[in-house]
Amino acid sequence: MRYLWLCFVVFTAITTNALTGLAKGNEGGISKINYFAFINDTTVRRDTAKKDSLLRDNANIVKRRTIYDLLADSLTKKPSELSLFPAVSLQQLLKGQFAGLYIQEPSGEPGSVQNMFIRGAPMPLLSPRDVYQSQPLVVLDGIPLVTEHPFAFDIQQYDFNRIGPATNIFAGIDMNNIASVEVLKDLAATAVYGSRAVNGVIVLSSKTPRATRSVTFDSYIGLAQRPHVTTINGKYENAFRQRFYDLYTTNGRYSDDENYPIYLSDSLNNVYSGKSDWSDLYYRNALVYGINLGISGGTDRANFRFSLGNLKNEGVADGTGINRYSAMFNINMKPLKWLVFSTMVNANRLERDRNRNLRDRFAQINYFPDLSAPLPPNKDYYANYIAQYKKGFDNNKTNIIDGYARIGIELGKFNFSATFSVDYNEGYRDVFYARTLLQGNSYASNYFGFSQRLMMDNKATYDLKLNNIHEFHFEVGQSVQWDTYKYSNAYAYKGVNDFIKINLLDSKPKNDDGSDNPNYLNPVAFPRELTYRFLDKTRDNLVSMYAKTDYTFKGKYSLSATIRADGSSNAQPTSRWFYSPVLAAAWNVKKEVLKDNTRISELILRASAGRLGRLNAFDNYSQGPQYTASVGYTGNLTVPGYNAFGVLTRPYSTGWIGYGIPWSYSNQLNWGMDAGLLNNRLRFSFDWYTKNEKNLLIGIPAYAEYGYKQSIESGMAINNSGIDVTITANIINHTKFGWTSALNLNHNANKLKSLPRGLSQIIIDNKLLKVGHPVDQYWLLVNDGIYTSNSQIPVVNGQPLKYNGTPLQAGDPKWRDLNGDNVIDDNDKTLSGHSLPQVSGGFDNNFRYGNWNLNLNFYFNLGRNLINQEMANRFDFINREGNSDVNSVKEITFWEKRGDYNKYPLYNPWSTVIPYRVDQNLFLENASFLKLRALSLGYDFTKTFQAKKIKLTRFYVYATVNNVFTITPYTGQDPELVNYDGYDTGYGQPIPRTYTLGVKMEL
Amino acid sequence: MKHGYKNPIIKMKKILYIILLFSTVLTACNKTLDIDSARVVGEKNMWNKLEDTRAGLLGVYALTRAALYDNDGHWLYGDVRTGEFISPNRQDLKAIASNKLNASYPTIEALSDWTRFFAIVNAANIFLERVADVKAADKRYTENNMLVDVAQIRFLRAFAYFYMVRIWGDVPFITASHDGQFENKPRESQAKILVWAEQEILKAAADLPFIYSSGDVQQPGNYYNEDSGRWGGALATKNTAYAVLAHLAAWQGNYTNVATYAKFVEDNYGKSGINFQSTEDLTKSNGFFFDKNNSQIFGLGSVWGHIDGAVAGHIEELTLAEPVVNKKVPDIYMPKDTIIKIFDQINDERFSFDTLGQPRTERYFTNINGKYPIFSKIKVIQGGVSDPTFRYFTSALIFTRLEDVVLLRAEALAVLGDQNGAINEMVNVMARRGITTININKEVIDMVFEERHRELMGEGQRWYDLIRYNKIKQNNPAFLSLINSQGIYWPISRKLISQNNLLTQNPFWK
Repeated sequence: MRYLWLCFVVFTAITTNALTGLAKGNEGGISKINYFAFINDTTVRRDTAKKDSLLRDNANIVKRRTIYDLLADSLTKKPSELSLFPAVSLQQLLKGQFAGLYIQEPSGEPGSVQNMFIRGAPMPLLSPRDVYQSQPLVVLDGIPLVTEHPFAFDIQQYDFNRIGPATNIFAGIDMNNIASVEVLKDLAATAVYGSRAVNGVIVLSSKTPRATRSVTFDSYIGLAQRPHVTTINGKYENAFRQRFYDLYTTNGRYSDDENYPIYLSDSLNNVYSGKSDWSDLYYRNALVYGINLGISGGTDRANFRFSLGNLKNEGVADGTGINRYSAMFNINMKPLKWLVFSTMVNANRLERDRNRNLRDRFAQINYFPDLSAPLPPNKDYYANYIAQYKKGFDNNKTNIIDGYARIGIELGKFNFSATFSVDYNEGYRDVFYARTLLQGNSYASNYFGFSQRLMMDNKATYDLKLNNIHEFHFEVGQSVQWDTYKYSNAYAYKGVNDFIKINLLDSKPKNDDGSDNPNYLNPVAFPRELTYRFLDKTRDNLVSMYAKTDYTFKGKYSLSATIRADGSSNAQPTSRWFYSPVLAAAWNVKKEVLKDNTRISELILRASAGRLGRLNAFDNYSQGPQYTASVGYTGNLTVPGYNAFGVLTRPYSTGWIGYGIPWSYSNQLNWGMDAGLLNNRLRFSFDWYTKNEKNLLIGIPAYAEYGYKQSIESGMAINNSGIDVTITANIINHTKFGWTSALNLNHNANKLKSLPRGLSQIIIDNKLLKVGHPVDQYWLLVNDGIYTSNSQIPVVNGQPLKYNGTPLQAGDPKWRDLNGDNVIDDNDKTLSGHSLPQVSGGFDNNFRYGNWNLNLNFYFNLGRNLINQEMANRFDFINREGNSDVNSVKEITFWEKRGDYNKYPLYNPWSTVIPYRVDQNLFLENASFLKLRALSLGYDFTKTFQAKKIKLTRFYVYATVNNVFTITPYTGQDPELVNYDGYDTGYGQPIPRTYTLGVKMEL
Repeated sequence: MKHGYKNPIIKMKKILYIILLFSTVLTACNKTLDIDSARVVGEKNMWNKLEDTRAGLLGVYALTRAALYDNDGHWLYGDVRTGEFISPNRQDLKAIASNKLNASYPTIEALSDWTRFFAIVNAANIFLERVADVKAADKRYTENNMLVDVAQIRFLRAFAYFYMVRIWGDVPFITASHDGQFENKPRESQAKILVWAEQEILKAAADLPFIYSSGDVQQPGNYYNEDSGRWGGALATKNTAYAVLAHLAAWQGNYTNVATYAKFVEDNYGKSGINFQSTEDLTKSNGFFFDKNNSQIFGLGSVWGHIDGAVAGHIEELTLAEPVVNKKVPDIYMPKDTIIKIFDQINDERFSFDTLGQPRTERYFTNINGKYPIFSKIKVIQGGVSDPTFRYFTSALIFTRLEDVVLLRAEALAVLGDQNGAINEMVNVMARRGITTININKEVIDMVFEERHRELMGEGQRWYDLIRYNKIKQNNPAFLSLINSQGIYWPISRKLISQNNLLTQNPFWK
């Protein structure tokens, strides 16, 4: 009830303000659109560095530095300032552009999911669920965008991809419609966005309509170049394995029941031992293009912008690609002097052609056929496979619609806005695999899922200025967000033939004679007993209120205080609400003490500190002890019940959830400095931060004797601290020639500060979480080589040294007994390496000569390691051959030589200690890299045309090469192609070198 | 309209609208936050209705099924460990067959982990603690319904313990849910647990009916409003309890009790609709192992019509390959030499050679002369068909059946010295397999175990049979030393030991 009162008080305040405001508004003068109502964030704008960018898009609003901007550490860029990259996704566009924003691109497959982390990962990344909860919030024109909820992973045995289209939602933003991108990193900037902003915010502001009529046209076309690879065939692989047989067997067989794969043993078999030219069909030169047309017009009182776009991006590997159609419509109206109405609709459709990976397909169909014969490396035979594949389909469609309607009341000092916004994403995946692809069994699957966010958002501000000395800005805001995530997924095996490709249902509720049809809604083309249907839905509601006061004294000192209250339906009833304060201060040193200094043109010191709540992504945490159907088993997780009745048990496989789970939150401290030297030709921005995530939930392996896999408890604390540095230098600024250079980098270190119950460490699968150590480290045995004879193995109590109870033998690895207890076990594993980079950033250089522009954009990661699992798998062939399970799956890329085989000792692969296990530092590699991500050359024809009296605002032509080279010590493929866990499985498709030619035109 | 706001009444109206608009948002405030999950059932919404006990009871059955199916555990523990089957490709199965249970394979790690059995125990404990809430809240939930439910739950809990002690020896002993106040427990002596389990099952047996929804005096009316067709073979009956008791007593070495308990089943099986199986029914793909039926004294089904089937969790996943299903190499197979040695009876309908040295039938083994003889006794493919294209299995896991109980009694009588009684029991089974001439040319106990081996092959029994046999015979020093050094048990997962510092590793596996 008291919350109701709180709500009431806030609204009384708003309405009484509105009352006075309404009265005052009447006295207003000439009507002119003030953009306040359209730009949601008034507090975090900052001037962009005065970079002589490759392009000057004067359609963009150049945001002025207001006094409040001093408080926050945020960076704004216009998309046109970002590299001219034929990017599909927001992530690709932002990669390496903002200090502190780290982007993972685990595959070059267009439209696949990419991860973002602002200032490190706030929690250990153990599963896609953690990655989801670590993502920053993306806000488009005040709409916090919704993404695909990971709850669908619950019904999946394998989490390679989420069921459904698994398309990157942020591939659904046409950047041609975006006027500016801002990355908000500290609480001074993020607090107003509430709990969803706890991982930082990326604010996208769309191009606003303008009164003058204008037409923009942006387009590019290009070619992604086919990568060069070294292919191998069965003979090569056979020779590779033969060395192990020579060493460890006497007659070519390790044991009597040894089964050597036939596809390798038959050297006369042309299918496997012949030419290896599969890559002709797998890799290709691919087409990329994008086109966007925007029209803007109207009057001062009513104006609009409308744009249409299409983008196609083909992948170079495996026939992948994405096609996007986008439309955006903004309208502003000012029916009364003090009333502004604005609305925006942004609609996108994504159609994605996915890879044909066997692993992903088998995981999707949850069936592993006989894998004794892999795909052959010979093009003629591989073509046959592709032909079979093409008998079916794999349609992935995503529709994204977001929009808002906003009423703004502008009454001089008092402003009020009420916004209703909607963000709706729906995804479809319709799959049919023909019989010939699966040993005579067809498979059909239909997925439909949506994520929906509705939001009511009200905000009121009041500005007060006293004697030009004291400046106040008051702000109160309130919002309610209703999130719904739902999917329905059905799949079926063994259709009647290959022509009926969808899972048809009997649609007659009644028979012809009027009786009830017992088969109503039963499948007709697929057997009922082999048809599985799943439905799931989860909701997540959030009610937020905040009040904020900014104060500035003589333009020198600024102070800001925010207090928030957030109530979440995913929090337990006993702690529904979370209250958090944020304080920020800034001091303009230049104005105070360096007024007369000519060298230093600007110097500002900033600090912010505060707290923000972190939401639970899953509604089951709000329930306390609970019941569900947790009765599946390995290979069949989704057992429907028993004896055709639904069952309820405790969630044994997900873990015990008790009462008393408080809100998790993040305490953040930021200290920053902005300096401009030499007339701002050299600008320097430095931030130091520390973020303490508190009361995080973590599953502690416990209570096995009560049936639980783990106990999900609150109390984990993680610290991320580091620095962000941005240096911009206008090195040469001649009228004819110019050179600007910008470096941004982030150094981040994470550390586990505490675990629930005061535990000092826990082991989760192959990870050790140890208090005082980073959470992104690998937990590995130290490999010192090989025991070539039994005599080399240390003897303990008359027996050879044991690994987990198994005596070591000749041919086993020499693992270091770190704790000196004369046995090798998990206690001898040590934390080493980092899966997230310690330093990451970008280095951008711009050269201008007359109307010419040349840009070089570098991207780098330092202090990052990964595990070359692909290599480990190749050596561990004994455990990965011929079984009908995920380990035995060999993709066509099995016939590609990656990495250096000679680096590794020849262990006995039959040994039960599994010598080529991945949890040893044998496969740990330095994956630092430097890439020339973009090299572009442009020419501005604007003046040329204008000289010829052609009416034209801008005409700009450019050519770009992307992904020019990579320098890295890593021996596998591109070190970027690794998922969040840092294990290079070899499944990442190459990020291609792309050549594009583009034009930007404005009339 | 232009000057409208000068009119105070209109202005007031506007404000009223604004207030109204906001108050609707406000009332939504707390309603918005108090929503029940659509995905899980909170404690407050459970144990209120009859449907909750049904869901809870069947949940315990489903957990039992999951525990035994997981990683094909029932057969890896029971059949593969003996080493009589050979695995051509799977290194993990090779390690199990050669008793290298410290090897680092995921399957072995999973099978060393008892968590899934304790889920049965925990779900049962919660049920026993909360069933009274339903009794109090829902009038439809009758006294008898509760009695029968509780008896089944107690039976399943005791069964889970019995199954666990056979695998690990001593295990922690927990008979309360300790919800929210979990505490680590040390391992309790196997003997103590077995005594308790026997008492529990006896108590349960007293309340269990012979049959459900068929007018049994102990279970009048339709059980949970469903007829006998729905429940037959799905639930534990009085006979189930006694059959498991016979197994439990045999494991204890208490053969007097074995004889008594087995006799109870022999006297009463008809009341549960249980029958002996012909060789044909036993081995055909839509026979005894298909679906659920009364003769499955204790079966955990994977019913085709209920969409319960799966690739995993069935013995067919391990044993079947070409030509029975389209898989090149089976996970396990039995070499021809071994088969010939085991199936040495003339006219054995399960498997025997004719005078020309050709297999008489392919009931137990297919492709006997091929590289990999396929053990195809159990081959419930899809809806009980012979379609080799899709490896989707629906066989029930049979813990015990009538032939097993009869042979257990034969074993007991042989041990107790009643050789004729033992022979009679044994012949009862052998005759049904077409073996008409039986030469009593060795010790009866040996013959009983040989017949058990043939009859129950692939039903997860062999490993425990071997242990009992060697305990009786005391003539195999290697095996006896394995028994004495506790090498017959599995190592306890190192993960569990690190979670609960009161646990100790089995000495053999240190």
